[in-house]
Amino acid sequence: MTLGLAFLVVLLVAAAAGGIAYVRASRLRQDGRLHSLPIYHGVYTVLWVLAPALIVLAVWTPMQTRLVNQAVLSSPEGKALPEFKMQRTAILDEARQIAHKEIVAGFNPESTTIAPRIAEAESRYAGIGGIAAILIALGSAGILFMRKRDRQFRARTAVEKWMSAILLLASLIAIFTTLGIVLSLLFESLRFFKLVPLTDFLFGLSWSPQMAIRADQAGSSGAFGSIPLFWGTIFIGAIIAMIVAIPLGLMSAIYLTQYAAPRVRSVVKPLLEILAGVPTVVYGYFAALTLAPAIRDLGVALGVESASSESALAAGLVMGVMIIPFVSSMADDSIAAVPGAMRDGSLALGATRSETIRKVLLPAALPGVVGGILLAVSRAIGETMIVVMAAGLAANFTANPFASVTTVTVQIVQLLTGDQEFDSAKTLAAFALGLVLFLITLALNLIALTVVRRYREAYE
Amino acid sequence: MNSAAADFAATRWTDQAMQARLRSRYRSERLFKLLGFAAVALSLAFLVFLLGTMITKGIGGLNFEFLRASDSTDPATAGVWGALKGSFLTILVTMALAFPVGVLSAIYLEEFAPRNRFTDIIEVSINNLAAVPSIIFGLLGLAVFLNTMDLPRSAPLVGGLTLALMTMPVIVIAGRNAITSVPPSIREAALGVGASKMQVVFHHVLPLALPGILTGTIIGMARALGETAPLLMIGMRAFIAVPPSGITDPATVLPVQIFLWSDEVDRAFIEKTSAAIIVLLVFMLMMNALAIYLRNRFEQRW
Repeated sequence: MTLGLAFLVVLLVAAAAGGIAYVRASRLRQDGRLHSLPIYHGVYTVLWVLAPALIVLAVWTPMQTRLVNQAVLSSPEGKALPEFKMQRTAILDEARQIAHKEIVAGFNPESTTIAPRIAEAESRYAGIGGIAAILIALGSAGILFMRKRDRQFRARTAVEKWMSAILLLASLIAIFTTLGIVLSLLFESLRFFKLVPLTDFLFGLSWSPQMAIRADQAGSSGAFGSIPLFWGTIFIGAIIAMIVAIPLGLMSAIYLTQYAAPRVRSVVKPLLEILAGVPTVVYGYFAALTLAPAIRDLGVALGVESASSESALAAGLVMGVMIIPFVSSMADDSIAAVPGAMRDGSLALGATRSETIRKVLLPAALPGVVGGILLAVSRAIGETMIVVMAAGLAANFTANPFASVTTVTVQIVQLLTGDQEFDSAKTLAAFALGLVLFLITLALNLIALTVVRRYREAYE
Repeated sequence: MNSAAADFAATRWTDQAMQARLRSRYRSERLFKLLGFAAVALSLAFLVFLLGTMITKGIGGLNFEFLRASDSTDPATAGVWGALKGSFLTILVTMALAFPVGVLSAIYLEEFAPRNRFTDIIEVSINNLAAVPSIIFGLLGLAVFLNTMDLPRSAPLVGGLTLALMTMPVIVIAGRNAITSVPPSIREAALGVGASKMQVVFHHVLPLALPGILTGTIIGMARALGETAPLLMIGMRAFIAVPPSGITDPATVLPVQIFLWSDEVDRAFIEKTSAAIIVLLVFMLMMNALAIYLRNRFEQRW
């Protein structure tokens, strides 16, 4: 007995009950009009049979894993397992895979001895949960079967109430996700700030999260000053990338909307959009493989001693290119929103097209363009793969574009992808960085959206 | 137009300063246009350079054996089949979760939601989620799915869940646009012949909005397919030599495989990485082409 099987049985019971209800309603219909079509009677039954049983299964599934783990750990074989939590979880995971016949043997020898215990406990608990779910499904089907229905039974109204509940539930998921992000980041960050004071984190100038293995080693505390990281993030994402993206994106938008023939525009615009669709890992690889060595050579040729092959310039340039279509389409929208009369008026006074664009269209579209640029900045500072692959790890506090700087996202990846105990300051630091990153992008987005909305209202 | 204007200027206005000013204005006009053209050309040149580099470096490594084999420490035998299968399973989970939830919340917000504070909160959180950096979703997945709910590490199930949360807002926004573009006359006609509000939405509005919703969904899925950072957070970066057989097996996905190979010191992996990038780009291009086809084939202008 597994929960998958129980789930199938519940589905079958629900389908059968629905079918019976449908047939009964159809029979009733032969004698006269029903309030609802037979199909609604069927669906009504399916929903009432399915919902309670599925809720039971949904609650049971996570509980079962805990119960199985408990049962196994309290068995003689389980008590012999190593105390260290990470190792223990690894062994249990492997044993579970062996028990499911997914692998033949694990990396840890203990997992083979544990496997039969797991299989045993799982079949026991799955039996309990599965049979409970099936009984509940059968029970609700029985109650519905016993109940006598007359023609006036409003099955459709009831089904529609169910549907509205499901619709509301679906839209609540967005709120839960937002809450989940805020709470999980906040919770882990608070634990981090118990280890490292908030002021050290926000205003510290040195970042070296290497914790020593032993407490008495030199530099064992690590340094968690995040200023260099945020400087690197701004330097790459908000300065270098924007120096590339703003002129190129803005001028592309102007050329495509004001000068290019409609046919050229209809071909070139989708091509530009491809730049936004290329996965960031591809940009990162391209930056690391082709651009970074070239830029290092250029730096050396220019006489920059510290030219690094993981320069801020390489990452920033490629990130800027990635942002071009984004800036371009935002600028495109806001220029298109400027009333045609303003443009026509300017042209009629004898201004050339470029004068009209520079002195009438752009100033009028400026709030929209600025909003778009803020959104682009927020996207650039949250971008991860390009900087992970092309920017460095050294937390330098420098404005030299040929030097290596690191960013918040690089450090998050770095801190969380090693083999780490989950509770160390190192992994918790990643959540604190994530929280600050989240707040910054949130603020940028809110400002940008307000700016854009105000501006739209001004012309509508 | 330029020459006509110049003729006009020549016959009527002979003032020297005026002419010089006009000339400089036309010069800056030409310069401005040239700058615009250069911006477009430069962006496209970069695209060509990027794709060209990947194709020239990777095309040699692209063969049947490469598509069939799984990851290996030896570049000669390493292939993308395991990663492709992982990507497929992950996207399947993402699709199965994000599509229904996204469409249903789009319907709720457009057709049923009352105008009140609560609806505003839902809208604000959806718009914000669409702009949250993807790595934050990775942190969420790590904290909630792995550490709180004890789901298996590196599994397509967790990857799919994380990416679903990320893709859902995209589908909601596309869905809402598609639903608003269905003209009110359709709703009124259906209501007029006695359909309930729910029947109007599910029998008439939704089928008409579906092509637009599907286009948005496919674009969202393509983005999820190319996503790397959140999957690194939930441990999908392990070396996996056996292709996953279910959504709870340890797996890796194509973009992460590219990232892992790009870190290898062995020069032979450059060809493998570029070849894997070609495979990834081909898949994304196919998805985008499908979205464009759907839009052109089924989209109705009212």
